[in-house]
Amino acid sequence: MAVTGALVTGGILLVLVGANPVDAYVEMVKGTFGSWFDVSLVLTEMVPLVIIGLGLVIAFKARIWNIGAEGQFMFGALVGGAFALRVPLQNQFLAIPAVLLVGALAGALWGLLVAAARVRWRVNEVISSLLLNYVALFVFAYAVRKPLRDPGGFKPTSERVPDQFVLGDVPVDEIRVHVGIVVALLLVPLVGFLVNRSPFGMRATMFGMNPEAAQAAGVNASKMTLRIMMLSGALAGLAGIIQVLGSELRLSNNMSTGYGFTAIVVALIARLRPFGVLLAAAFLGALTLGGDVIQRTQQVPRVLTMVIQAIFVLFLLLADRRRSN
Amino acid sequence: MTGVRKSFGSVAALDGADFYLRHGEIHALLGENGAGKSTLMNILYGLELRDGGEILIDGHPVDFQTPQDAVAEGLGMVHQHFKLVPRLTVIENVILGGKDSRAFRLPDLETSARKLEDLAETYGLPISARDRVSNLSVGEQQRVEILRSLYFGARTLILDEPTASLTPLEVRQLLAKLRDLARAGTSIIIITHHLDEVMESADRVTVLRSGSNVGTLEASETSQLELARMMVGRDVGILTQSDAIRDQKVDQSVKDKNRPVLRLSGVDASSRVAETGKETVARRGLFDLSLEIHPGEIVAVAGVEGNGQAELEDVLSGFLEVDQGEFAIDGKDCTTCSPEDLLNLGAGYIPSDRYRRGLIGGLSVAVNVSYDRIGEAPVGNRFWVDSKELMRLGDRAVEEYSIAVRGAGELAGTLSGGNAQRVVIARALAKELRLLVAAQPTRGLDVGAIEFIWGLLEEQRSRGLATLLITTDLDEVMALSDRVYVMYRGRLSEVPRDRESIGLAMGGANKQGEESL
Repeated sequence: MAVTGALVTGGILLVLVGANPVDAYVEMVKGTFGSWFDVSLVLTEMVPLVIIGLGLVIAFKARIWNIGAEGQFMFGALVGGAFALRVPLQNQFLAIPAVLLVGALAGALWGLLVAAARVRWRVNEVISSLLLNYVALFVFAYAVRKPLRDPGGFKPTSERVPDQFVLGDVPVDEIRVHVGIVVALLLVPLVGFLVNRSPFGMRATMFGMNPEAAQAAGVNASKMTLRIMMLSGALAGLAGIIQVLGSELRLSNNMSTGYGFTAIVVALIARLRPFGVLLAAAFLGALTLGGDVIQRTQQVPRVLTMVIQAIFVLFLLLADRRRSN
Repeated sequence: MTGVRKSFGSVAALDGADFYLRHGEIHALLGENGAGKSTLMNILYGLELRDGGEILIDGHPVDFQTPQDAVAEGLGMVHQHFKLVPRLTVIENVILGGKDSRAFRLPDLETSARKLEDLAETYGLPISARDRVSNLSVGEQQRVEILRSLYFGARTLILDEPTASLTPLEVRQLLAKLRDLARAGTSIIIITHHLDEVMESADRVTVLRSGSNVGTLEASETSQLELARMMVGRDVGILTQSDAIRDQKVDQSVKDKNRPVLRLSGVDASSRVAETGKETVARRGLFDLSLEIHPGEIVAVAGVEGNGQAELEDVLSGFLEVDQGEFAIDGKDCTTCSPEDLLNLGAGYIPSDRYRRGLIGGLSVAVNVSYDRIGEAPVGNRFWVDSKELMRLGDRAVEEYSIAVRGAGELAGTLSGGNAQRVVIARALAKELRLLVAAQPTRGLDVGAIEFIWGLLEEQRSRGLATLLITTDLDEVMALSDRVYVMYRGRLSEVPRDRESIGLAMGGANKQGEESL
C-alpha cells in the first residue's frame, strides 16, 4: 500500500519532467539488483548506513536524539585518516585495528561533547549535536585544504592512505565489497544483544521510556547520557574511518553524501530494531543508487530522484504510524 | 434521577442508579472509587450523556446535553480540581464562559465585580473580586468556585470531593458554610468518601456500589460503620481497629530505640525548580528538619499537600540534594546520595506519583516488578538479562500481590491505580530493605486496595522495617503510625498522635484565626 502510493506519486513526478515512469522504475531495479556488480555497489553503500544506524538505534532507544551522526562520522574519518596518514605502523594486523579504534574514539569524543553539554548545562542534544555537524565538517574541510592536503593533488584532498591501512575486498568472487561489510554484519547481532538482552540496553530503554522512574530504580541519568552518546558517536566514527579505508582511500570533502542524516531515517524505518536496520539500510542504499541509475539512463535530474526517495520514506513512515495506531 | 444507566465500552459504570434530592438539604453521595458517584453527577450536570434512565427537576423531565443547559436550570458544580485560570482575577474567572461575555465586547467588570461581592457578603463567603487567583489559598479558590455557581443562579450545588485538599480546620469551616447555604434554601450534593464529613454535615446519604445504589439513609439514623459496610459490601477491618491496639505497638517500638535507621538533623533543602510569579505562595523548600526512625516503627509525616512533602520525598529518594544538615541511613552519610546510592543502602521508595516515578508503562508488568534489579542476580548478571527468570518473578508477584492482569507479560501502562500501586510495592518489597519511604501510598485507591497496602506496611513493621509514611490522609496516619510529625511551610514538628493535635498543626496552629473561610 505504502509502496504503491509512493510509486504512483513518484510516477506522477516522473511524468511531469517528461520521463516514462515505468521505464524509470524498471531501470532503478535493474540498476541496483540486476548484476553482481550492482549488488556490490548497494552493499558498499549499506556499510556506513548500517553502522551509523545501529549507533542511532542505541541513542534513540534511550530517547537521546543524536542528530550529529554526520559530524561524528566526519570527525572519525578525519582523525582516523590522519592517524593512517601520519603514524607509520607497518604491520597490517596492528595498523587496521589501531586505526579503527582511533576513528571510533574520535567519533565517541564528538558524541561526548554533546552529552557533556546536556549533562552539565542542560543543552538540548538536538541543537548541540546538529551544530557540531558543521563544526566537524569545517574542521575536516580545513584539514584537507591545509595540513593534510596532498601537495601533488589538484583538488583539496589528502594523499592516498598507505596500503597497510587499506581494507581489502571480501574474498567472494562475484562480489566486490570491502570487508567493512563484514564489520557491519557482525555489529548487527552484537548491537541486537546489547539493546535487547543486556542490562545496559534494558536500562537505556527504561531511561528512554520514563527517565524519572528509571532514575528512581537506580539508573544514573548523567552516566547513561554520556555512555549512550559516546557509544552512538563511536559507531558513527567507526563508520567514518571504515568509509575512508574501504571506499574512499583518501580524505575528501565530499566523502559523505549525508550518511549521518540518511541513517536517522534508517533507524526510524527500522523502528529501532537492529535487524531492521539491515533491511532499511539496504532499501535506502538501493534507492540512492537507483536514483543515480535513472539519472544516467533516463535523463531524470538527480534532484528529482532525491525527491522520490523522500516520498518513499514519507509513505513508509506514514504506513508505519497507521499500523502502530 | 431514576434508573440511570451509563456504560464506557463494555464496562457498566452506572447500572440503574436512583438519586433523589430534596429542596434545601445536604445530600452526601458516598461510594468507593469507581462506584459511579462522579459519573452520576457528571450526567446530572450535562458533562456526560446517559444511556438510559430519567432525570426530573421539580417534576418535569430534563435532558441536558451540555453543562450550559444544566446551569440554565439552576445547577452548579464545583470540581475536585478547580477550573480556574491562575493568572486571571477572581471576577475575570467568574464571568469567563458566562452569558454576558460576548465576542468583541469587553464584559462589564465593574458591575460584575460589585454583583459578586454583594453575593459574597450575602452568603458570608468573603472574597476580593480583584485578587489574582494565583494568590489565593486552596480554600479561597474553592470559595471562588462556589460563588461562581451562585453567581449564575445555582439553586443546586454539586461538590466533587470538596475537602480533598483542605486542612481539617478549613474542612470544618466549609461544612459549616454549606449548612448555612442549605438553610437559605440551596440544595447541596457532596460527593465524598470521607465518612466523618458525611456524619458531620449531611442530612441524608446515598451510598453507591458498582453503579447502583445500596440505599439512602437519614444521616442522623446511621453510623460510620454502617455506611462503611454499605460502601464495600462487607466488614472493614481497618476502620474497626481500636486505638488501644495501636498504643501497645508504640510501646514495643520504643523499646528497640538502639540505633536509628534514618536520621535527619537540621536539614535544609530547596527545590530545584524555582516557582516564579507566585510571590505570596509559601517559600518552597525544607527548613531545619530533624527526624529519626528506628527499626520496626512507622513514622508518619502528615500535613496539607504543598508544605514541603514533595521536597522531603525528593531528598529521601535521592532526587534532591541536601543543602545543609545531616542525613544518614544506618549511620552512613547520605547528603549527596543519588537514587542509586540510596537503593544500595537498602532504602526502598514508593513514590507519590506512581505513574511518573514508579512505573514504566511501555514495559511489561514483569519487567516493572524487577527493573531495579536489572544487571544483578537473580535477574541474570552484569552482562545478561535472564528474561525467563524475569517472567517467573513477575508471575510470582502477580499472584502474591493479587495484581489483576491476565499475565505478567501485559504492559504496565494498562493497569488501574490500585494495580499499578501493587506493582510499585511488589518491586520495593522484593529487596532486603532497611528503610521504606512511602509517599501517599494509598492516594486515590479504593478501600480494598488501601486495606491490602496497609496490611503490607504493618507486616513489614513487624519484621523490623523502619517506614517513613508521607501522607495527607489523616485516617492513614491514625491507622498506621507509631509517631507523627506534621509538615507545615517546610518545617517539621512532632505532635501527639491524636486527630485534634494533628489537625491544628496541619493548619499552622498559631494562624488558625486568620484562615477563616
